[in-house]
Amino acid sequence: MTQNPTREPPLPDNGRDAAQECAAIEADLERLKTIVNDAAGRLLGSFNEFVELEQQTQRNSEERLRIESAIGTAVTALQFQDMATQLTGHAQRRLAALESCLRSLYGDGVGAGYFEHSQPVRQSEMSAGSIDLF
Amino acid sequence: MHSILAVDDSASMRQMVAFTLKGAGYNVIEAADGQEALDKARGETVDLVLTDQNMPRMDGITLVQNLRGLATYAATPILILTTESSDEMKAKGRAAGATGWLVKPFDPGKLLDVVRKVIR
Repeated sequence: MTQNPTREPPLPDNGRDAAQECAAIEADLERLKTIVNDAAGRLLGSFNEFVELEQQTQRNSEERLRIESAIGTAVTALQFQDMATQLTGHAQRRLAALESCLRSLYGDGVGAGYFEHSQPVRQSEMSAGSIDLF
Repeated sequence: MHSILAVDDSASMRQMVAFTLKGAGYNVIEAADGQEALDKARGETVDLVLTDQNMPRMDGITLVQNLRGLATYAATPILILTTESSDEMKAKGRAAGATGWLVKPFDPGKLLDVVRKVIR
């Protein structure tokens, strides 16, 4: 028998609990935005530092072309923050509307305790995580 | 030196656009939304406007409409750089007076090609 290694939250079994779940998902998306913004800030900072140092370095024409190509690829990829932020914001607005609809139909949820499931990601920034040796 | 007004509510997007354009020798003026862009455009003439669509206070298409109402910007190339890719939105941009519609994310080389093509 296979075991599910991740303790997933139970599915809501009524509209009121579904509304609470929507609120929890909105909160997760907000944390995702925080992580994305933090990562983007760090990447952009490193990118700027690299470019500044690179401009002071002597390169042959082939190396220069390769570096310019890599920088171009990085510039395209570094636009992820803008797109991710727009997508998560859009998802949050839709969830808020769904939550509002559910609450108006079913009232407020059963309260704290129902959604006390594990949070796989607790970090709010992209600095290196801690290391514990046992 | 040609001047370009770069408009986007995302600071990281403005940074990438400015990096690309300045690297090619353009002077870049930045604005974080359409209203700020309109105020800056009234203050000084630029050779091209590159604007996002979805922004607070004033969106890109409204900015385009307002700029086209100014005599000094009647013929200035205005490019919209946005995540929006629907034909409907592109048609709205064209009807407002935009010169072109670019979908994010942009490739720096291709952006520069377009800029060189439209700037006078």
